[in-house]
Amino acid sequence: MNNQQAFTIATDDISTDPTVDPTTQRKHAAMIERLSNLHQSRVSSKSNVKDPSFESTQSFLLVFTNSKQAIETSLAQIQQIPDSNLNHDLKSDLERISLSISDLEKLVAENSYFLPPYEVRSSLKTISDLKQTLDSVTSKVKPRKKFSFKNKPAKKSETANVLVDAVNKNEPEHQSSYKVKDSPGFRSKENEVLVKEFKSSEVGEYVLSDLTNCEVRLKGCFRTLFINRLQNCKIYVGPVLGSILIEEVEGCLFVVASHQIRIHHAKQSDFYLRCRSRPIIEQSVGVRFAPYCLSYDGIESDLKESNLYDDAGNWANVDDFQWLRAVQSPNWSILPENEHIDSVKI
Amino acid sequence: MGLLSIIRKIKRKEKEMRILMVGLDNSGKTTIVLKINGEDTSIISPTLGFNIKTMTYDKYTLNIWDVGGQKTIRSYWRNYFEQTDGLVWVVDSSDLRRLDDCKFELDNLLKEERLSGASLLVFANKQDIQGALSPDEIAKVLNLDAMDNTRHWRIVGCSAYTGDGLLEGFNWLVQDIASRIYVLD
Repeated sequence: MNNQQAFTIATDDISTDPTVDPTTQRKHAAMIERLSNLHQSRVSSKSNVKDPSFESTQSFLLVFTNSKQAIETSLAQIQQIPDSNLNHDLKSDLERISLSISDLEKLVAENSYFLPPYEVRSSLKTISDLKQTLDSVTSKVKPRKKFSFKNKPAKKSETANVLVDAVNKNEPEHQSSYKVKDSPGFRSKENEVLVKEFKSSEVGEYVLSDLTNCEVRLKGCFRTLFINRLQNCKIYVGPVLGSILIEEVEGCLFVVASHQIRIHHAKQSDFYLRCRSRPIIEQSVGVRFAPYCLSYDGIESDLKESNLYDDAGNWANVDDFQWLRAVQSPNWSILPENEHIDSVKI
Repeated sequence: MGLLSIIRKIKRKEKEMRILMVGLDNSGKTTIVLKINGEDTSIISPTLGFNIKTMTYDKYTLNIWDVGGQKTIRSYWRNYFEQTDGLVWVVDSSDLRRLDDCKFELDNLLKEERLSGASLLVFANKQDIQGALSPDEIAKVLNLDAMDNTRHWRIVGCSAYTGDGLLEGFNWLVQDIASRIYVLD
């Protein structure tokens, strides 16, 4: 208010000065009035500062802490109610607390744009702690009702069996639609020649696992191939539209084509590849690479259909994930041409 | 209040979310990211290291960190945990043999304190392949129901190959993160 008085005095001074031109005087008076209005509005806006939505970390924290304490108090009260005295008010109490927690969450969200990241994080942490406490209180006083995002708490004892169950459950479906489909594939064979011809590209995944001294011929396109635990096998495969995953193989020969090829835990094996992307090896030693050399009746159209007709030369661009240096990895090499097998016709 | 409201608007416009894509190798993480970004998915090499994609979704800016899933580089995942708002766990639903590996790695990840506030989207990928397990079956195998009940999570079946389910999944993820961090207007 002192300022205003000062303005008033100044005005008086000017108005009493006869040398000042009346127009200037009017203008000056208008300016003084504007200034004083501005000042007035500033003074009155000061009272708004306490509004929680105004951007001050401190006022936010004050509101936040108060609500947090209120919630904690009501939670503590509920816990003190003796078990025998369970009345139906409890439900509404718990709902009220849950509501105030979500109000609190909303408060944080509304203010998050100006709060320092630390405050946002610690507030969110507090909220999740409160929720957890609420959950534990709820399950204690009303075991069946749960405030949570999931509704089927699975029993721990089931855990071990779930995998088996799920896989087993899947089997009948396969068997009903496809005779050989039990995650279809060749498993646990020795000294055999295994042949499979895929008629349409509708075939999904195929598995080769636990084979010893076998020769496998897969003709036609399919989506994805999983190879696991092979010893001294020869594997000839037509174009695979998706990816091939090869794990734990030793002393094998592979002639395969695919969009992606991953080789893990391979020892002393040769790979004749056509690959749209860079093949990779991990935990492998003594693996050698050469270009794809397979043929069968109709392979050309199969290769075209699966976009594998052109050899981009990627069979030689092998990434060893355990050898991230510029020099050549000692784990793999390019097979010298004089050691190549002849083109294979199956 | 003129300037203040302008500043407020600008700040609200910069709604950024950091999303971390992880999962076993061969699950399709890079393909998913490229597919939703409308890029060519026909030639994708296994990820050595990581890719970052920034894209706008709704009014949010998503920074998607797609981290390689090969076994030898999984130990580096933890370098990307800081300030992650959303976690996308990608499962190859047709790789039945490695589902226990998948569960093991996911369980480890969820124990991580720095990811405790992140919303979890599980993509049951490769639904287009015959013989792939359904999202429900994947949820059972991974025992998702037994997860710590403060976690916001959801499982969505998808195919990075056809694009089915990708938007549904990301839509949920973005909305869920937004409701935690920003006010929904």
